[in-house]
Amino acid sequence: MEHKSERAFVRMTGVGHRYDPTPGSPMAVQNIDLDINRHEFVAVVGPSGCGKSTLLRMVSGLLVPSEGDVSVFGKKVNGPRDDVGIVFQKPTLLPWLSVRKNVLFPLKHKFGRYGAQDEKRANELLAMAGLEAFADKMPDELSGGMQQRVGIVRALLLNPDILLMDEPFSALDAMTREQIGFDLLKIWDEQPKTVLFITHSISEAVLLADRVLVMSKRPGSVLDLIDIDLPRPRNTQTINNPRFSELTDRIRNHIYEPDAH
Amino acid sequence: MSQTPTEAAARRALLLNLSPWLFFVGLIVLWELVCRVFSLPNYVLPAPTAIFSAFFDVEFSRWMMHLWATLRVALMGFALSIVISIPLAIAMMRSEFLSRTLYPLLVVIQSTPVVAVAPLIIVMMGSDDPSRVLITCLLTFFPLVVSTATGINETPEELIELSRSLDAPLRRETWQIRIPYAIPHIFSGLKVAITLAIIGAVVAEFVAAEEGLGYFIQFSTSFFKIPQAFAGLFFLAAVSLLLFKSVQWTQQIFFAWSLPKKK
Repeated sequence: MEHKSERAFVRMTGVGHRYDPTPGSPMAVQNIDLDINRHEFVAVVGPSGCGKSTLLRMVSGLLVPSEGDVSVFGKKVNGPRDDVGIVFQKPTLLPWLSVRKNVLFPLKHKFGRYGAQDEKRANELLAMAGLEAFADKMPDELSGGMQQRVGIVRALLLNPDILLMDEPFSALDAMTREQIGFDLLKIWDEQPKTVLFITHSISEAVLLADRVLVMSKRPGSVLDLIDIDLPRPRNTQTINNPRFSELTDRIRNHIYEPDAH
Repeated sequence: MSQTPTEAAARRALLLNLSPWLFFVGLIVLWELVCRVFSLPNYVLPAPTAIFSAFFDVEFSRWMMHLWATLRVALMGFALSIVISIPLAIAMMRSEFLSRTLYPLLVVIQSTPVVAVAPLIIVMMGSDDPSRVLITCLLTFFPLVVSTATGINETPEELIELSRSLDAPLRRETWQIRIPYAIPHIFSGLKVAITLAIIGAVVAEFVAAEEGLGYFIQFSTSFFKIPQAFAGLFFLAAVSLLLFKSVQWTQQIFFAWSLPKKK
């Protein structure tokens, strides 16, 4: 078993970004310093438009920051990297492909083909997410929660080291949302990944993550980085733990205080 | 009443399905009555029965000859415009330069009445199939370019990001994501284009032709064989409808996922 490495797995140093490259234009995010350990689950919360997604895009290499550096395992990120799996807010499955083919799509798309071995892996991943019975269904035959599960399984196909999740559950109803969160933790337990999880929900962040990064209003910067010392495995009982409300309160105060005066 | 709700619903559904046919039959009967009651001469408005018998006065082989002439041109023009429009729409999506350069020209072509250009094309290129196919193509390609381009641009941004994060070649992004996403739009374009293709072929025949259903209608009219002209017109409409339906069936059979979901 590998232990948490001394060196940070994902490291952001002095990261800032402006979408408009003219100097003096407003920054989307600024002065971000963040180290994420291997197989750590980090959630990012903050008000709308604070640059949470910008952060995620910088780790994926889809966006190169205009200031500072992002590195993964000591190597600077300067272009799209294929060892990340991305889960979007909407499931964005391809409506003309069956669930299994949607899961296999990253391989088909990257290499133009896939083999029997890959199909086996897709089936195993689907089974792990409790979707084996739906492998041959079309996406529109599935509920929103199940579609998003397929989206997660698709992101796991290439066995990425990093899982980037951009408000993945925000389009789901509250009950489905809670359930799929615990399912994600189960998957994460079986297939450990370094997770960067963007969310609007403070309680979701505390319930799932090892650490929560609280961001300020635009230009987004780090307000607080909180260790979530709640025991694992987390479940519905976790919410009743007094520590849970302490932690959510601490985050809530960060988010609401600056508006109070 | 003793009707159960399901029976009532079934009756309603049946009426809904039959209503277009009933309406059509009713219209024909009304037409026949008007012709008989007012004893309208054939050149003003021929009665449906007169049109019907005129249809069978023309030999089957003549119908087939005219049909083939029109169908050939319409289908070639349609195929040519598919071959031109879809790659053109993709190229214009890929290159802003190309799209800025070509779009005004496409709009100019589209806004120029093809009926007015057709005689010029016939003079320049002769009165053979190529010029007729060109006339048809000029009429059909614009809706196809627009619908394909619309569809391609509606591809969700997330999927493009997914493609970029996989570092996949652009060719696969086009074939595996963008074009399939455009399929529903492409089919709406194809449905418009197929009916325009028939119009294009008929316009070309009006200008110069020795065969074809358009030519047949024109020729019958000039000899005051009005019931025969009407027979040709109905035949043409039926063919056009059948082609439209074929496009619809193609979508239903091969691209069922692209149809709007039934509630």
